[in-house]
Formats: sequence, structure tokens, C-alpha cells
Amino acid sequence: MMTINRKKSNGIFSKSILQIILIMWAFIQIGPFLWLFYSSFKTSVDIKTNPLGFPKSFYLGNYDFPLFRETSGIDISIYFKNSLIVTLISLIILTAVSLLAGYATAKIRFPGKNIFIFFLIALLGIPVHSLIIPLYYLIGKMGLLSNYFGLVFPYVAFNFAFSTLLAQTYFRQFPDEIIDAAKIDGCGQLRLFFSVVMPISLGAVATILVINYINIWNEFLFSLVIMRNNVAKTLPVGLMSFRGERTVDWGPMFAVISISILPSVLFYLIFSRNLIKGMTAGAIKG
Amino acid sequence: MIRINKKNLLEFITGYSFILPGIILILIFIAFPAIASILLSFTKWKGYGDFNFVGLKNFIKMFTADRFFYVALKNSIIFSVFTTIGTVGIGFILAVIIDLKVKFWKFYRFIYFLPVVVSVIPLALLWVRMFDPYGLINNILGKMNLEQLQRVWLGEPDIAFFIIIIVTIWQYSGFPMIFFLAGMQNINEEIYEAARIDGASTIQRIFRITVPLLRNVFSIIIMLQLIFSFKVFDIVWAMTQGGPAGSTEVLGTHLYQVAFRQMQFGYGSVVAVIMFLVSIIFAIVYIRVSGYRKTFFEI
Repeated sequence: MMTINRKKSNGIFSKSILQIILIMWAFIQIGPFLWLFYSSFKTSVDIKTNPLGFPKSFYLGNYDFPLFRETSGIDISIYFKNSLIVTLISLIILTAVSLLAGYATAKIRFPGKNIFIFFLIALLGIPVHSLIIPLYYLIGKMGLLSNYFGLVFPYVAFNFAFSTLLAQTYFRQFPDEIIDAAKIDGCGQLRLFFSVVMPISLGAVATILVINYINIWNEFLFSLVIMRNNVAKTLPVGLMSFRGERTVDWGPMFAVISISILPSVLFYLIFSRNLIKGMTAGAIKG
Repeated sequence: MIRINKKNLLEFITGYSFILPGIILILIFIAFPAIASILLSFTKWKGYGDFNFVGLKNFIKMFTADRFFYVALKNSIIFSVFTTIGTVGIGFILAVIIDLKVKFWKFYRFIYFLPVVVSVIPLALLWVRMFDPYGLINNILGKMNLEQLQRVWLGEPDIAFFIIIIVTIWQYSGFPMIFFLAGMQNINEEIYEAARIDGASTIQRIFRITVPLLRNVFSIIIMLQLIFSFKVFDIVWAMTQGGPAGSTEVLGTHLYQVAFRQMQFGYGSVVAVIMFLVSIIFAIVYIRVSGYRKTFFEI
């Protein structure tokens, strides 16, 4: 491929000035994370007396979570576990239902398909926050308040439209020849889906998983309303116990915040390509 | 119209059964609450017991007697407009520079998008500590002998809301950036080449070529950001809970306060319906300007 250095910098846009701007902005973006992280290895007293300084000694006491539980009464591992379970169950169900629906809208002919797709697009614009009151009532009636499934079902429903449309655009590019060949061999639609289509659709699965992981792991309002019981709280809701001004020492709090954002940072390190691609996929073309 | 016969009937049934689970979930957890929300706004309901129909009383109360509603509405609008301008503006500038393929551009793109994927709540708690009276910001100001600038940042109404907006722009400017970068990949290199031969400066090229060709991306991302920011709740709740004295209240927090703190579910539904209507207007505009019709619709 020919590479033209298309917009060779000139005039005021000299390379070094651009680098300085980019580095400064990078520092603004990542500085708070670095501050958080190295501060978590300082004692609470050290953080307060000298907030900016690097740790004098590498203090690990903030990460002693059992001790932290005893002194503050906040058990971070429960919140972590809850977030993990809710996210995991939601992702499994969501991936299954949206891949099925995405495949159906891309490759199966049936009357009313266009109406269904239009319906999905319309759903993208529904502000789910405004559904919180009736949903609270509904989940309560179902007896699912403070229950994992009280969050799982709404999460799957809210993210279904986007995931299905994403899967659909993916399956649309899937060659019909493979499907036809399998059909001639007497393969039923369901078996076709699971044994032929799924194994070569891991790209779609990864993208759907990554985007929805971010949405679900970070979700706050519904979790705040539905997981009322302290032992059922997810991580973002549980973290709110740290808001209380001077109730918690700064050191352990910095450790807990570091730990709570770590999974997302790791996830991003591994899947940044899928994530960026998937997020811009539907919206850019055309 | 597709003709129904024995052979494709099986295909129809398969198709319907593949979309059925999703439809059921949507009907129960989106369609029903959406209708119920509208009905609830005409009632007085405490979260238990009877629904008392009160007609338009809730709406009248909201528009005539609820001071906090107007504060919340005003703040939501200010928040949406400023965070949209901030994130889209900064995102565009970053995308333009990164698209020059300067050294380490992949690294910069990676770093700038990082805050977008992290949960708002821990980050907001971190910023609360930075703006704490004994926090990082005041400490740095003290070291620079600028004591007169030190203050209780989140305790002063105007400053608190301003900080919430700044933190949001800090967290989300990477989001428009990746949209612009994706759009810029579709711009033909030769157009830039031709412009250079004609002696156009970099700035001219940005405003005469890049901006007009990215018009679609601009409208899409502006609409998306408006939709996202109008329903803001998390960051306000984590940083100020609407305080001090209700000055940073937005529609999202007002809804939560009225419904889940004061247990006025009927009245809270009015706030929900208003949020709903405004977002639907944004969404209709969004669907019209975006390529969704073309990308998801050419069957």
C-alpha cells in the first residue's frame, strides 16, 4: 500500500509543538489515575499532609481489606462479588438473545422483520432512566428487589436493541454460501446457528461482550434503586458509602477505588480495538 | 410481500422464535414501564397502596410551585450544552492532531479514551477528594502561595456545578474523538494532496475540507452527547447529591429525590415523562441525521 505523508505539518503546527500539546493532554487524562494509584501506597496521614508527594515508603496496609472491613464495617469483596455475578449472568443471557435475534434479522426471511428492525432502532432513543419508577414497582411485585435477577432482566432488555443491531451488521457480511451448503446437507436452522455460524462469529461475540461489559459493570441508578439491601449492592453503589466526608480514612479508600477500576482498565488494555470499533460501527457509515 | 407455503413456514417459525426472547424482555421491562410511567404521572401514589387519580394536578404543581424543578431543568440544559460543546470541541481538536499521524499517535489515542471506559462513581469520588478542602487542589495552590484562591470547591453553588461539568468533559472527550477519527479514515487522501499543491495552509485544510466532510459525524456525535448528558445522574449524585442547597440539582437527581427520598412516585413520574419527551425529540433528530436508516435499514 502506498503511504503518502498526507498532511505534513507546517508553520505553527510544527511537530514538537504538537507533541507538547498531546503530552500535556495525556497528562491531564492520566494524571488523576496516577495520583490515585501511587497515593494508595501512602499512609492516610501521609496523603493528608503531603497529597502530591510520592510514597516515602511502599506502604501496603491500605490493601489489607479484611482489616479495613473490621475498622469501617464496609466489606468491599461483597460488592465486588455482586457486580461480578450480575455482569456475568447479564452478559451470558444478553449475548445469547441478541446473537439469535441478530442472526434472524440478517439471514432468515420472515414477515414483519422490517417492523421489528424499525422497532429496535426506535428503542435506541428510549431514555431508560425515565422508566425507573414503574420498574421499581414491577421488580418489587416480582419479588426481585435485592435479587441478582432484578438487575439482570432490565440490563438485558436495555442493551438488547443495540447489541442486536450490532450483531445484525456483523452477520450481514457472513457469506450465504456457507449457510446454503449446510442447509443442503440437511442442517436445521438451530443447529446451523450453533455449529456453523457461532464458531466463526467470535468477533461479533467479543465486540458485544466488551461494550456491554462497560455499560453493565458501570451502571449506577438502577442498581441504586433495586439493590436496596446492603449485601446485594453492586460495586458503584457500594462505593457510595465512601462519600461520607470523614468517615473513611483516605488511604484505604484510595486502595478500594484503585481496585474497583482495575478490571475496566485491564479489559480496555486487552480489548481496546474491539471496543473502539464496535462503538463507532453503526453510527459512522452512510 | 413474502408468500407463505409449507416450505418457508418452518423458516418463519424459526425466525420468530429467534427474536421472541428479546421481544418478551422488551415488552415487560421497557414497553410496560414506559406506558405505566405516563399513567403514573396522573396519579398520587406513595409506592404502596392505592393509585389516586389526580388529573393534571402533578403537572400544574410542577410548573407553578416547584422551585427545584426549574433549577433542575435549567441545570440539565446547561450541563448538556456545555459538556457537549466541551467534549465535541476537544475531541475534534485531538482527532485532528492525532490524524496527522504524529509519533506515538496510537499511544495518545489509547490514553485519551481510557477514562471513557471507567465507571463514573469511583472517578467522581476521586475528584471529590481532589477538591476537598484538605485535598490536592488546595494543597497545590498553597504551595504556589496562592492561598487566596483556596476554597471549599464543592461547597459553593456556582463553582460546584462548574466542576461537575469540567470533570465530565475530562472523562468523555475521548468519546467524540474516536468518532471523528473513524470519520477521518473515510476522507480521501488525494483531497488533502490537491489542497496542499494549491498552497492551502493546515488551518485552511481543516476548516475547508475536514469540517465540511465530517458534517454527518458532527451531527451524530452532537446528538448522541446531548442524549447522554441530558439524562445525567451518576456524577451529580456522587459529587454533590444535588447540593449545596439544591443548587446542582439536575432532572435525574430531582426525579430520584422526589420519588425515592420523598416517596412521591406519581409526582416523580412527571419529571420522568418530561425527561422522556425531551429525549425522544433528541432521538428523532438523531435517527434522522445519523446513518442508521442506511446502515441498519437496507435489507
